[in-house]
Amino acid sequence: MLLKRREILSAGTALALALTMAGGAMAADDALKIGVPTSRTGPYTVLGDQVVRAVEFAVEEVNANGGVAGRPVEMKIGDTEGNPDAGRRAAEGLALDGYNVLTGPISSAVGLAISSQLNRWDAMYVSVVNKSPKLTGDSCHPRMFRANHSDSMDLAIVKPWLAEQDDADWSIIAADYVWGRGSGEAFKATATELGKSIKIEVFPPLGTTDYAPYITQLRDSGATGVWVALSGSDAINFAKQAKQFGLTDQVTMFGHNFVVDSTLATVGAAGVGVWGNVNYTFSIDTPQNKAFVEAWMAKFGATPTNYEGETYAGIQAIFAAVEKADSVVPEDISAAFPGLTADTVFGTVTMRAEDHQLGLPNYLGRVIEKDGTAEIEVVQSYGPDVAVPPADPACKL
Amino acid sequence: MIINALNGLVYGSLLFVLASGLVLVYGLRQVVNFAHGALYMLGAYVGYSVTMHAGFLPGVIAAGAALAVVGVLLDVVVFRKLADRDPLVTVLVTFGVMLIIEDVVRTVWGTQNYAIDPPAALSGVVEIAGAPFPVYRLFIVAASAVMVGGLVVWLRYTRSGLWVRAASHSPTVAAMCGVRTNLLGPLVVGLGAAFAGVAGIVAAPFLSLNPTMGAEILVLSFVVTVIGGLSSFGGAFISAMILGQVQAFGIVYVPEMAALLPFLLMALVLVARPQGLLGKKE
Repeated sequence: MLLKRREILSAGTALALALTMAGGAMAADDALKIGVPTSRTGPYTVLGDQVVRAVEFAVEEVNANGGVAGRPVEMKIGDTEGNPDAGRRAAEGLALDGYNVLTGPISSAVGLAISSQLNRWDAMYVSVVNKSPKLTGDSCHPRMFRANHSDSMDLAIVKPWLAEQDDADWSIIAADYVWGRGSGEAFKATATELGKSIKIEVFPPLGTTDYAPYITQLRDSGATGVWVALSGSDAINFAKQAKQFGLTDQVTMFGHNFVVDSTLATVGAAGVGVWGNVNYTFSIDTPQNKAFVEAWMAKFGATPTNYEGETYAGIQAIFAAVEKADSVVPEDISAAFPGLTADTVFGTVTMRAEDHQLGLPNYLGRVIEKDGTAEIEVVQSYGPDVAVPPADPACKL
Repeated sequence: MIINALNGLVYGSLLFVLASGLVLVYGLRQVVNFAHGALYMLGAYVGYSVTMHAGFLPGVIAAGAALAVVGVLLDVVVFRKLADRDPLVTVLVTFGVMLIIEDVVRTVWGTQNYAIDPPAALSGVVEIAGAPFPVYRLFIVAASAVMVGGLVVWLRYTRSGLWVRAASHSPTVAAMCGVRTNLLGPLVVGLGAAFAGVAGIVAAPFLSLNPTMGAEILVLSFVVTVIGGLSSFGGAFISAMILGQVQAFGIVYVPEMAALLPFLLMALVLVARPQGLLGKKE
């Protein structure tokens, strides 16, 4: 069954590609070939949909304007199923098929699985969603780059915010796996540094249905601040139930990666009042972003989501590296990338040579109610000087 | 403490409604229905769509009615055709049905999460032990009690209920005595599916709707039926209530072990009493 589904998916993708390519009739030999192994099935499918939409949009746009460095751009999609094994297989298939500029996996575990194989496949990888600090830390790679925000970047802007909060006692609820535990630990360190105390830490397993026992504990702990590191449907379940128990209105709540468009579209009013890191929002005030949002609105009739914006920025960075390298060979692009200055929706940003992290600004926001609907209000913007912590010395390139 | 017990009662009630659908189908058809979680999920989606247009109560009714139809089809198309085969074949087919339903939901509703709010009359909180408790959670307990209570009354005190019990006990003898067992199949499976569907929409206001929501709760429902003794309602009731409390208190007092406790309990019961708490010895 799973195999079937994958076959149907790849057949569909190939067909769609054949249709889009039919009109172009561009020379395929020196084309820039982007492989997009991302979640087409499994728990992160909603995020995968957004990545695919943004890559397709960027490729279509650039081809309409004559391509990159005079070369056409082609793309092909694969399914990582959200797990490292299937992800590595999907990426290998794409890379060996010539689509060796890889981007798009959701889970950091998939990104890490791909990075170890890059030399063997003669490929390169540019993360647009992976947040684990490991990618630019002890697992960094000469052919791997991150064009999105890492967890450490998010924590860097949480610190000044946390210092301003009156709440002295905090509690932590985080998903019981690498990302959640890591986020909880990082917050604990930051809070302790600021002289705040952590009253209780709870770690519900992934896919928890009923959060009532956890919510009761958070409430009984006496903490007036709550750090929430849950994602996907877990975040939605928790947000709804916490609101129903009155917890959300009682405490200062910060959701790590919670204030994102796809979650908010589902929880609506139950999210009002929650603080969070906002990695991209359509309201970013740069000429490049205004042009992007306008073109996106014209095509889709809606504003781009945070993942769509970040993915688009990543593709812009790839295009800039290809222009500079004047080559579509992964080795050449990877050599041109470090230190590169690129024009993206975030403004002009630089790819740091030490750890291959793109120096992005970052934003802190809150869910507010406006005209009866819940929306994200950006409260504070931070330039790359504050938002990007120094490179992890564990990264040896 | 009281709040913890109440949390356990709410979750136990939800598990019990789901488990009773499983018990009903197993009793008559001797089939472990893997598609039960998918039916629960489908009920939530159907209920969601109707609720958005017509309100919560019509949503609940629509979910029950639509899933009853699905259940009848499931019995006529799958269970009856495979009645003479190895039960394992039927189990595998129900697993396939589960995958099909999930894909249908993905195609119709997409992969994104959905959520609905509790109806206005049930969206407040009441003060219990000095802390606010959502009224809707109490409604879940009440709704479960009404549903399962109705089921028990039907099975115990009506003629058709007697037939179902007879056919569950021994289909051949029941048929010889003039019970039209062919008609009972669609009735019972339809009812089981309707229970799953209603459970889905009743749970929806505190959950996110997504195509995998059924798989998450199905596993625990199985644990409930196994602990209770596969075809015993009383057993399922006791084990659902125990499991609800084990979950609620386990998370507080032994957080590292909480996810494991239901399965430990099941293993213990299977070792000490393989037929389940109230199950009959074969």
